[in-house]
Order: sequence, then structure tokens, then C-alpha cells
Amino acid sequence: MSGERIGPGDGTRAVFALAGLAALAWGGYLAIDFALGSARDAWQGLAWFVGGPVVHDAVVAPVVGGVGLLIASRISPRWRTPVLAGSVATGVLALLAVPLLWRPFGVPDNPGLHDRDYWLGLGVSLAIVWAAVALGGLLTRNRD
Amino acid sequence: MIRPPTVKFGSAAHDERVTSRLGVWLGISFVVCFLTGLLSHGIQHDWFWPSRPAQLYRVTQWLHIAAGIAAVPLLFAKLWSVYPKLFERPLFRSLPHAIEHGSILLLSGAAFFELVTGLFNAAQNYLWGFYFPTPHYAVAWIAIGSILVHVAVKLPIIRRALTIQLDPRRRQFLRTTWLATGAALAATVGGTVSPLAVRSDRGPQGLPVNRTARAANVVVPADWRLELAGPKGIRRLTLAELRALPQATEDLPIACVEGWSAMATWTGVRILDLLRLVGAEPGATVRVESLERDSIYATSTLPGEHTRDPATLLALRVNGEELAPDHGFPCRIIAPSRPGVLQTKWVTRMEVR
Repeated sequence: MSGERIGPGDGTRAVFALAGLAALAWGGYLAIDFALGSARDAWQGLAWFVGGPVVHDAVVAPVVGGVGLLIASRISPRWRTPVLAGSVATGVLALLAVPLLWRPFGVPDNPGLHDRDYWLGLGVSLAIVWAAVALGGLLTRNRD
Repeated sequence: MIRPPTVKFGSAAHDERVTSRLGVWLGISFVVCFLTGLLSHGIQHDWFWPSRPAQLYRVTQWLHIAAGIAAVPLLFAKLWSVYPKLFERPLFRSLPHAIEHGSILLLSGAAFFELVTGLFNAAQNYLWGFYFPTPHYAVAWIAIGSILVHVAVKLPIIRRALTIQLDPRRRQFLRTTWLATGAALAATVGGTVSPLAVRSDRGPQGLPVNRTARAANVVVPADWRLELAGPKGIRRLTLAELRALPQATEDLPIACVEGWSAMATWTGVRILDLLRLVGAEPGATVRVESLERDSIYATSTLPGEHTRDPATLLALRVNGEELAPDHGFPCRIIAPSRPGVLQTKWVTRMEVR
């Protein structure tokens, strides 16, 4: 274990561990109950469960690391911090917009719901972010 | 012998001080998600839930979605801060080490599962065939359980790391994460002001519709009557007769499990007046049936807490107009502090239990 050994008087850890194991057991029971209901649902659910970490570790993290490295090596120190922050916000906003922009399995029309122009929405959000980046860069005193 | 390539990680993020501080906020957001989600689950499974304050469910469900959205940048930042650990060798060191790493895979899988399915569900975008609430609820227990175990394992490191000061580079990484989290929240959960909000003002009578009359396959028959079944027998009321009963007006929100909400002014007959018509007392449990047939939301149960509350209406009008077909014409339930899916539309029968 990467922590220290459980010593006397460290009851907090024991409480967390026991509560956690109990929640895991109950969640596992519910998940198995769900999976036994339909083989298709079980496989789909498993794919979504395993897919997150795999896609993150194999695709998202290397890409983010690469982009970060590129920005760190190519952008002048004055602009590095605001551009990095702007890029992070851009990535997060773009990801959050995916369920609204890409709708192969969206429900039929529900007036008043997901019926806005989300390309415009994403554009407006990113315009605000990059305006803040520009402002941040201009206001930063050159630390060289 | 071929040696695996060594990867060098130079980011200021790869440090237990950063990981712990991110972990605190990620943990808080998951606990908020879990508790508010548990409440929402309970309300839909007949657990006790008060009818006041009227905005309560609106707030708890907004928190559920807001904490989930905040968790997206926090999760990415935290995983990035521990990413080099993925490349540590040897993979197998000892059984406790293996179990700990296995539990992190469980934690990461559960966290992604909850956030991705939750986000797509809030956008009513179903990339899967299963019924969303069941696995979202089951995996919520797995997520919170593995978080608690993870905290138990790491507590000495967390305690140590939180007491050590941060240098400017690491502080910068955290500041970037907080800014991205703020941007994510501002863009999504600020009502119709947010550019990436789910709802607009384009719904009929200014209110969003979660299921249209057409989608629900509802056609109101020409001889429609509201059937009221109570201790004194059955009464069948025409729409004209309902309109002739004493009318009440209440400002109540429609608050969806998917996180959006909207206020409206509703006019109709108080449920407690309808109960008295058939000899029942306010506080009785009432089963409500819709003209809609093939849906799990075709019926709902109004608990005593809500039938006792004078603000609970069988609404005939909204925002000064007769209900639009998509809002439940001829009449619908509107009760304070309840999820929208339980505000049954196109009501045709109410039975006192």
C-alpha cells in the first residue's frame, strides 16, 4: 500500500474503508442485477464503463500532454500561461458541447429543449475565453 | 533485452500536493452528485420528501448537474496529475499494491461512466440502448464506494500533502483548473443565459416540453371526463365543470431531472378541494393516470405531503392561457418541489388510495 501502515488511533481510515466497501458491495449487487436483466444492456454498460479509462489513458491524456508541450515550447513566456489556460477551457467547453452538437440518437423534437444554435453557443463561449486570454496576456508584465 | 521506452513528465501537475488539492474538490463534487442523486432517486421511489420549500427539488437537481459538470475538468486535471503513475514498472509489486491499482481502475471507470452517461442523458442524446437511470444509479454506488476506499488508502499522503505550501508553477496549474471549471459552469448551468444550456425559451407558453402530445400518442377524446375515485364513490367531471370549481393560481417551477427548470404561473383546482369532492381528506395518497399509455411515466403517485399542500394543483391554465396540448391539455398535475416526470400530463383519472 502506498500509504502508511494503519496504526492504532487511525479510526478515520477504517471508517472510510468500511463505508466504501459497503457502498461497493451494494453498487456491485445493483450492477449485477442490471446486467442479468439483458445481455445487450450488460455488454453496452460494460463497454461504457471500461471505455472511459481506456480512451482517456490511451488517447485524451497523450493528446493533452502533446498540446501542452507544444504550447510550452513554442509560445513566449509572457503568453504561455494565458494560452495554456485558454486551451484547457477550450477543450473542456468543446467536450461539454459534444452531446448537444452531435446527436445521432437524440430524442424527437422537444420544443424548448436542445433547440438552440449550439455552434453559435460554443463560438460565443470560446470568444469570451480567448478575449480573456488576450486580456490576461496584455496585462501580464513580461517576466523575462 | 528490449527496454520499455521511458517517458519523462515535466509538468508541475505531477505532484501529490496538486493531486490532493484537486482530489478534495473532485471528492466534494462527487459527494454532492451522489447525495442529490440519491434524493432524486428516493423521490421517484416513494421515499419521504417534503413539499416545501417549493423550489427545493429545483435546487437539489440543479446542484446535481452543476456538480457533475464541475467534475469534468476536475477529473481530467486529477488524472493528468497522476498520469505518470501509469508508466511505473513493474506492474505487479505486491498483492496490496495490485488491489489498490485495481480499485483505481474501478474508480476511474465509474467516474467516467457517471459523467458521460449523465451529460448525454441531460442532452436527451441516447447513445446506448439501456434504460439510463438503473445503471447510473448502480454505478453511483460503485463510484462513491471506490472514492471512500481510495481516501482510506491515501489519507496519510493527503494529510501530508495538504499541509505543504505550493510553489508558483503548481499554483498556476490549479488556478487554470479552477478557471476551466468556472468556464464550464458559466457556459452550461446559468439557465437560458448560458450559451451551452439545454433549454431555450422556445417552448409553447414559454416553457420547455419534455414529451410532446404527439410523441406520447395522446389524443383527447371528445367525451373526455376527469374520473375521480374516492371513499364516496366515483365522480366524472367535464372540463367545463372543472373550470366552474373554485380556481387557484400558484407560481411553481417545472424542474426536470435533467437539471433545467422554469417558473410558470399555473391556474387550476386545488387537489385538496378535489379530494373533498369525493369524501377524502387532504393528506390521502392519490394515484394519477394519464391518457398516455405506453410509458413508465403514464401514472404517478401523489404522496400525502403533496395532496395536503394547498399549492398542489390540477392545472388547467399556464401563464394566463389554456394549457397547450404539449403541456398536458386538458389538465395536468403541478405540485411544489417534485421532478417534472412526476407532474403527470393529460390526466384522465385520479384515485384516492
